[in-house]
Amino acid sequence: MALANKETSAAGDLEGTRSAPQLTGSRLPLVSLILCALTVVGIALALWMAFFYAPTDAIEGQPQRIFYVHVPMAWLGMLSFVVMALAGILYLRRRDERWDWVARAAAETGTVFITLALITGSLWGRTTWGTWWTWDARLTTTLILWFVYVGYLMLRSYMGRTPASARAGAVMSIICVIDVPIIYESVNWWRTLHPTAEVGTPGALPFSVVLTLLVSLTAFTLLYAVLMIQAYQLQRTQTLAQRLRADLE
Amino acid sequence: MPQGFPYLAAAYIVVWLGLLLYLGFLALRMRAVRTELAAVEELVREQQRGEKD
Repeated sequence: MALANKETSAAGDLEGTRSAPQLTGSRLPLVSLILCALTVVGIALALWMAFFYAPTDAIEGQPQRIFYVHVPMAWLGMLSFVVMALAGILYLRRRDERWDWVARAAAETGTVFITLALITGSLWGRTTWGTWWTWDARLTTTLILWFVYVGYLMLRSYMGRTPASARAGAVMSIICVIDVPIIYESVNWWRTLHPTAEVGTPGALPFSVVLTLLVSLTAFTLLYAVLMIQAYQLQRTQTLAQRLRADLE
Repeated sequence: MPQGFPYLAAAYIVVWLGLLLYLGFLALRMRAVRTELAAVEELVREQQRGEKD
């Protein structure tokens, strides 16, 4: 929660060093507090529903409950890349570095979620398919997204906090976002082991399973928003600190 | 123990451990940047004192 502290200076005020003392002054924004409270309640409810409300799958048994964390992780891993691409487009159009901070924050957070999606998927695959990994279209395209995330982070780290780095990152995210619809459609385009989307198909899943999944998706999306705010604040503060130090030198 | 339970437990542990580690990593980096800002503040004060003298 301490992370939710927000610096009071506007970015535009930080050209000179006079605003430096304001940077360490902290205030807990109400929006972050409300979001954190909703996230805690949502996650608690999602966990309770996953273990006590949703029925045990007749074929897969207990490991089917991995579904309630695996699907939100994969959804947020893909959503985060779309956020990166949109922020990249807005950065290239407006040259406003705040969009670059959004893209950097989304890259970090998205890497965490897509990594967890791959690990939980592997654990589920071991129990259902009897293997940790298979070169299935859905798994392979998701692994490609993971490599793209890591490549993006390496590129941004190597190039530093410069306009050229922001432009390169924006272009990379706009080009590579094409992998997201490919991941989504891979189960329809190719014959895969991975199950097809069953949510929304009438009668495919019991109502309690769909409801639990929707609650879990909402709760983890709220958690994603909380993490994004913290990561954005960090990116912003790091850039401003670097600029202040450069001004002093 | 129900069949496959260790995999279920491992999945939930990995998710929560991963998310908490990332949150901790963010907190550590935020603390480091705040420490850097405090050092910059001190430099600013020193410069301002120097200008007055």
